[in-house]
Amino acid sequence: MSLYGNAVRRPIMTTLCFVAVVILGLFSLRNLPIDLYPDVETNTLMVMTTYSGASAQDIEQNVTRPLENVLNSVSNLKHITSKSRENISVITLEFEYGEDIDVLTNDVRDKLDLVSSMMPDDAETPIIFKFSSDMIPIIMLSVNASESMPGLYKILDDAVANPLARVSGVGSVSISGAPKREIHIYVDPVRLEAYNLTVEQIGSIIGSENRNIPGGSFDIGSDTYSLRVQGEFKASEEMANIVVGTYEGKTIYLSDVARIDDSLEERTQETYNNGEQGAMIVVQKQSGANSVNISDKVLSMLPDLQKRLPSDVKLGIIVDTSDNIRNTIDSLVETVLYALLFVIIVVFFFLGRWRATLIITITIPISLIASFIYLYATGNTLNIVSLSALSISIGMVVDDAIVVLENVTTHIERGSDPKQAAVHGTNEVAVSVIASTLTLIAVFFPLTLVTGMTGVLFRQLGWMVTIMMIISTICALSLTPMLCSQLLRRNNRHGKLYTLLFTPVNRGLDAFDRGYGRLLAWVVRHKLVTFLVCMGIFIGSLLLVRQVGTEFFPTADDARLRVSLELPIGTRVEISKESTARLVDLWREKYPEIKMINYTTGSASSDNTFASMSDNGPHIVSMNIRLVDPGERERGITEIAASMRKDLRNFPEFKKAQVSTGGMGMGGQSTIDYEIYGYDFAETDTVARELQKMLRSIPGTADVIISRADYQPEYQVDFDREKLALYGLNLSTAATYLRNRINGQLASQFREDGEEYDIKVMYAPESRTSLEDIENILIYNSAGKGVRVRDVGKVVERFTPPTIERKDRERIVTVSTVVQDVPMSEVVEASMKQIDEMDIPQGINISLSGSYEDQQDSFRDLLTLAVLIVILVYIVMAAQFESYTYPGIIMTSLLFAFSGVFIILWLTGHTLNVMSMIGAIMLIGIVVKNGIVLIDYISLNRERGMSIRRAVINGGESRLRPVVMTTLTTILGMVPMAVGTGQGAEMWRPMGTAVIGGLTFSTVLTLLFVPVLYCVFASQGVKNQRRKLRKALK
Amino acid sequence: MKAIFIAYDQAHYDRIVEMLERSNCRGFTSWDQVKGRGSETGEPHYGSHAWPSLAGAIMTIVEDHRVATVLEKLREFNNERPKLGLRAFVWTVEDGI
Repeated sequence: MSLYGNAVRRPIMTTLCFVAVVILGLFSLRNLPIDLYPDVETNTLMVMTTYSGASAQDIEQNVTRPLENVLNSVSNLKHITSKSRENISVITLEFEYGEDIDVLTNDVRDKLDLVSSMMPDDAETPIIFKFSSDMIPIIMLSVNASESMPGLYKILDDAVANPLARVSGVGSVSISGAPKREIHIYVDPVRLEAYNLTVEQIGSIIGSENRNIPGGSFDIGSDTYSLRVQGEFKASEEMANIVVGTYEGKTIYLSDVARIDDSLEERTQETYNNGEQGAMIVVQKQSGANSVNISDKVLSMLPDLQKRLPSDVKLGIIVDTSDNIRNTIDSLVETVLYALLFVIIVVFFFLGRWRATLIITITIPISLIASFIYLYATGNTLNIVSLSALSISIGMVVDDAIVVLENVTTHIERGSDPKQAAVHGTNEVAVSVIASTLTLIAVFFPLTLVTGMTGVLFRQLGWMVTIMMIISTICALSLTPMLCSQLLRRNNRHGKLYTLLFTPVNRGLDAFDRGYGRLLAWVVRHKLVTFLVCMGIFIGSLLLVRQVGTEFFPTADDARLRVSLELPIGTRVEISKESTARLVDLWREKYPEIKMINYTTGSASSDNTFASMSDNGPHIVSMNIRLVDPGERERGITEIAASMRKDLRNFPEFKKAQVSTGGMGMGGQSTIDYEIYGYDFAETDTVARELQKMLRSIPGTADVIISRADYQPEYQVDFDREKLALYGLNLSTAATYLRNRINGQLASQFREDGEEYDIKVMYAPESRTSLEDIENILIYNSAGKGVRVRDVGKVVERFTPPTIERKDRERIVTVSTVVQDVPMSEVVEASMKQIDEMDIPQGINISLSGSYEDQQDSFRDLLTLAVLIVILVYIVMAAQFESYTYPGIIMTSLLFAFSGVFIILWLTGHTLNVMSMIGAIMLIGIVVKNGIVLIDYISLNRERGMSIRRAVINGGESRLRPVVMTTLTTILGMVPMAVGTGQGAEMWRPMGTAVIGGLTFSTVLTLLFVPVLYCVFASQGVKNQRRKLRKALK
Repeated sequence: MKAIFIAYDQAHYDRIVEMLERSNCRGFTSWDQVKGRGSETGEPHYGSHAWPSLAGAIMTIVEDHRVATVLEKLREFNNERPKLGLRAFVWTVEDGI
């Protein structure tokens, strides 16, 4: 017995099966974590190699290039970029999406082993670093303090950072803006020289004095005692009394040659929250952990943590990424619920019976809930993509049930009992229901096969919709007939309300059918005119293609702005602070939307992982601005950003200023990177500057920035090797002497309350402020004879490029621009035209990347996908109709779907981006369904013996309602998406709009154009048959 | 003894069998899913794309006096649901085992 036969015979089993599915689904839903996007697996590895003391150019030559040459052969590599900075080489390997990063990491490690012998001796072993979206901080907390400021680091470390780090899922907690304690031994060079001492000697003396040494154990009588020397300093002042040497019989104490400064790190980052100095705590999550869960836990801990802090220390929230996730998901859930409501209304309107409406609409929650089981089983989350899939499917999952119900109703009306009607009615349409589901699966299943960034995003969409379609078909073939047999009645008597309400509706619908029939009759008599008009509209819409701009992703409003400012290189931190404070005051006054503004400046200490990952320095300011939620303000985030950019023009001291909106990756703002490849610094710099000037003149560009920083003025000591040798010295000894005096020598560690603080010996700050101070540094050889720097070398001022960037093993400068107010394609077109006219020296070439490259990649992927889908859909249809021509006829409706997409995008001012393209791709499945329904019935009429024309008109008339109904359910299911105003609505609005436009337009034209084409081809077919018959007769 | 051959739309099956039972006609032979169409009216039952419905057939051999009742019932069924289609034919059975 068939599925539906069994279902009808065993209603209890059927009901309980679905109840079980629903319970499992609801259980899964309860446990599903929420997130913004599907888990995007990291595709980037970083290889960091430190080589202390080497300049950018040395690093490039000796470290970066050999590493690049070897790493380049790792498979699946997309791009290899590198930054050679002073002391460090950072190579970033970007792989194709979807590869197993662990395998790649091993490959990279193997390659690094190969090259290790070619590295300079002093270079450290390269470190592999996985970079993923997990590194993006999920919460940034602000800390304001006044009296506690000097000890803030320790307070925060103990009372906030450590408890937070214990929260499961939290990866790291970094504190910036709160300087760490450090003990400086500031020596006076003149006294040192007088007493014949060196920084190194003092350092080693401190090191050997600050020791605890166990002396073993010894026995006294019957007891064993252990012997120990506890020499570690208990207070930093103790160091003053250390004997560092003797001079002419007198003891010299440390206090005689140096002063002990127990204070804070010399060079640190400072953080300001809403204009007040404080600190910032950055919480990063562990790979794979759920941001919303963590942020919930962290936020719930805050009141407790606050209690443990001194009263002047106040915690606040700068950024809580989960806030945006929650709001976005909430607004999407609302969208889904609206879609559900609209679909129910449409079904009720067309069927007019509440029992029938119930039977149909019950398939929606079941299919939707069943898909949660998939999400839970595969460890996915409830995110934008999975919820969009729900929204898209709502209109489509009812289609199968409608077909079944309609046919069962026909049977009942002919006189069958509901039970018999349910079985036989379902049996008749089972094949076509499965076939129409197959066409949809042919569209959505390939989405699971896409590679690259788009693939990561839409794999889930593909699976979700495929699963929901399958469940809805199973539902339509089992639950629907069962419910029909139980709920439908043979003699359907209508109440008064029904008669009152639905008589006009039915009359209207009948008139609609007849009107369409008349139109169809006219159309099939004027085939050529119809054909020309339809094709004219199609070709006309193609002209719009150039008018509709393209971009990668729509910019999402996540109520968060990031501003990075750069003053001229070498600017002291005080100046940066002062300028930024003025800017912050201005902004806080001008934009009441700002909830919180936080900025950080200064060089980060090396043990702050988060800060040292990003650019930092005394002249660099990075700012985080949190706005109130999008619903509560008039101005959109792009508008505010544009206005801020304008303000920044009045601050000429900021040499580079960048205002960025949106999250990282998807939903971020559109950028175009112009990559200038070329070896010669001077030449590429000229081209970059020219390009920058040109881009600034193009409307729609903002924040045009050259990636290569300015040439950094620096002093170099050129040692004369011959002279050094004469004094029995070598270069590295001499250089180390310099370093120990200026940067300081790490002598030992001071321990207090379980914490360790560095003890650094260095020249006192006042003794290292001029070139003479450097030149006067004494270098001692092994014989203890001193020589001054000026005697063995020269101090010269030079300019070096601070960072050498390379991409795909070539030197590169990137000029990047943010696209604002206009579609990205316009800027690209305008700039390409001008670049062609530019006079570019030989050996230099310019190529485009940034979101533009991502967009091109994604569009290429999606176009390939579209072609694949069209072929698959054709195959499914051809198999169903056992014909090559019918599917071809149906496919013509695709042309109008695409016209509709372009027309609506043009009318609404949306751009063609990945989201709207996905909408267009979905249309392939949805619009051919209309054609299938129509052609299927027309050919049924023909088989029943009608003439072509009559079959077409009659078929059209009787299929109009189902077509309009299924189309309306899909369109109305999309309306909440297209007009949504909630947080994140910018993301899915283009998709909803594209589907609505394409579907409306193609349905209207399909209802006219497809019958005409059918007439043409069918009569041609008849003619061919007759000719064959005649030949055979002869 | 008379043979009654009943050709009907599938949907009638349950009721016909029940009716035979009630009319004390114990024996019958039925064919599920058969094709055919009426001589004058009635939709064809072909199980095809154009005519998807299917018919069933029952042959029952009953005592002569029961024929009238059975036919009467069948006529009732047919009149009740004329669109489904139900036909019955009776002829004499000469012998059997």
